[in-house]
Amino acid sequence: MERGGEHEAQPRRYTSARAGILARVRSFRLFRLTAIWEAFRVATSSLRTNKLRTSLTLMGIVVGVTAVIAVVTIIKGLDKTVAQTFSSQGSTVFTISKNPQIIKSREEFVKFNRRKDVTHDDAEAIRRLCTACWRVGIAANAIEVVKHADQKAENVRIRGVDPITMFDIDGVTIDAGRIWTESEGSSGREICVVGTDILKNLFSDASADRVIGQELRIAGRPYLIVGVLEPLGSIFGFSRDNVVYIPYSTYQKAYGARRSLVIFTQVPDADGLEAAEDQVRTVMRNRRGHTQDDPDDEGFALETQDVFLNLYGSATSNIYIVTIGVAAVSLVVGGIVVMNIMLVSVTERTKEIGIRKAIGARKKDILTQFLIEAVTVTAIGGAIGVGTGFGLAYVISALIGFPLLISVASAVLGVGVSSVVGIISGLWPAWRAAKLDPIEALRAE
Amino acid sequence: MSSNVIIASPIENVIKAKTEVNGHDPKSLISMRNIWKTYQMGTEKVHALHGVSFDIPRGEYIAIIGPSGSGKSTLMNLIGCLDTPSEGEYWLNSKNVSEMDDDELARIRNQEVGFVFQTFNLLARATALHNVELPLIYGGVGSAQRHEMAKKALEAVDLAERMTHRPNELSGGQRQRVAIARALVNHPSILLADEPTGALDTHTSMEIMDLFERLHSEGNTIIVVTHEHDIAARAHRVISIRDGLIEKDERIR
Repeated sequence: MERGGEHEAQPRRYTSARAGILARVRSFRLFRLTAIWEAFRVATSSLRTNKLRTSLTLMGIVVGVTAVIAVVTIIKGLDKTVAQTFSSQGSTVFTISKNPQIIKSREEFVKFNRRKDVTHDDAEAIRRLCTACWRVGIAANAIEVVKHADQKAENVRIRGVDPITMFDIDGVTIDAGRIWTESEGSSGREICVVGTDILKNLFSDASADRVIGQELRIAGRPYLIVGVLEPLGSIFGFSRDNVVYIPYSTYQKAYGARRSLVIFTQVPDADGLEAAEDQVRTVMRNRRGHTQDDPDDEGFALETQDVFLNLYGSATSNIYIVTIGVAAVSLVVGGIVVMNIMLVSVTERTKEIGIRKAIGARKKDILTQFLIEAVTVTAIGGAIGVGTGFGLAYVISALIGFPLLISVASAVLGVGVSSVVGIISGLWPAWRAAKLDPIEALRAE
Repeated sequence: MSSNVIIASPIENVIKAKTEVNGHDPKSLISMRNIWKTYQMGTEKVHALHGVSFDIPRGEYIAIIGPSGSGKSTLMNLIGCLDTPSEGEYWLNSKNVSEMDDDELARIRNQEVGFVFQTFNLLARATALHNVELPLIYGGVGSAQRHEMAKKALEAVDLAERMTHRPNELSGGQRQRVAIARALVNHPSILLADEPTGALDTHTSMEIMDLFERLHSEGNTIIVVTHEHDIAARAHRVISIRDGLIEKDERIR
């Protein structure tokens, strides 16, 4: 009706206007997408124009996300290493020793040092009296320089063990040659089974077969190599293959009988562990009880690998907490920087906002535009952080030697959290932009 | 009202009665009814417009002229739906704009008003084509159609070859033509120009005014707000504003 009869002079306008309206109706659902895409275009172009400012703005977010991603990735890698390492021994083994694996204070150290040594007799008693135990063995370690011809290797772990089931308890297997026989073991002969690092360091990487029958010198004494172990790999950068196994009787000959032993006890399956521990504890209490000066102290340490796993767990959870703290601080600071820059950006672009409003941008269009700009900055920061985080984790894992586990979830989380920071810090500036009066805004320069 | 009916002739009765009932003239594209605009300046109230009323039918080419401080900018902001009157009614295309909220006004600006500014007000970082597409973006037109419409609008102002240029690569006259294309792309009810030649030299000014003339002959309703008499003289009707009131409202051709 309003495009009524007296306007025949404008046929062109009439049809084109109707076409315009039809176009609007047809594309009505496209509206949000179109506006969001426009907002994204504006955001990226404004970020590109202010490259230096953008990169400085990103910094806080990048640091925060890098820290989280690196630490999460590294710890995941360590977790896997630890899980693999300990599953080889399983939760069927426990040890009896004079000192626990972890000593928490000087007082403890003094206390533990007053304890009686754990001896061969203790092991015999356990073997005899513990009916729930499957395998019982003893082991003692020394660190030595090992030589062959003009080659020498330092910091080699010399492990005196008895009986040969200790190989099974340790979870190591023979790759070439053999383990010594019972009679060789009890007679104190200088024979040994070596880890693969010995081949690498002393025999210029010769094959396992070729070193059988060769001779090593440990602390000046000659030893005959009878077997080579399968490699175990390294944990936390420490090789587990830099080892020489010798019979305990031979060890005793070389290092004396006065050193305290570690008794290894294995049960057939994890269900039997508690019963075996109770029996062993009873045996050891009986053997320690009357010679004990400190009635509060058992006089020995009975431990499973859980001790180490618990320590590892609490250490990593502490690292997580610290990292999350660092990340939170840098994300908050990063968020404040983004908010500040967005406020500057709104002020700088007041005129642009005025123009957009004059040609029909609504409050929510302007709000969306600046929110998307803020989120784009922080999401890019998050993505860079994910990249540098993985990069850092890669370098560290390569240096220490554990697998790199790239987790998609942590990448998504990194970008997601930084996007949320963008929304939070962009909200106020975007709201200020949205509620600008178009007339005032157009007047700005 | 009843006295009107008695005095008037039968056919006028119908029209008049309808006018009075609806509060606006349905034939007019724009109906301003006793428009007041009051600003609070500290403790004082300043009246920028003191009860202005006029009608603009569709297809008219009209100039609003007045010295600075006359209230013509205020009037322009009201016509362009950038602002609402303190009192009175403004009907644009049969819609009562005077009672709309911000978002409804934005919608009206998008669909019904095409602005042309003195300083062009193009987005510096966007190409000519993107500048012209902008109203369609806020109007929710899909990208293929948007492109098509924006291209046509640029062709209509003879800038088809400059579509990918940014404003700083264009001359003043070309920039103003991009702005005019942007104003027209959504097929608005009115083309509202605020000192459209204020930043241009004489020759370019004449080109732009020629373009307005052509657009008018093609059926567009054009309102030019200016303080220059020779620019106003190109229109078919001139409303002179002084001290917030209509001083003169004359048809000049």
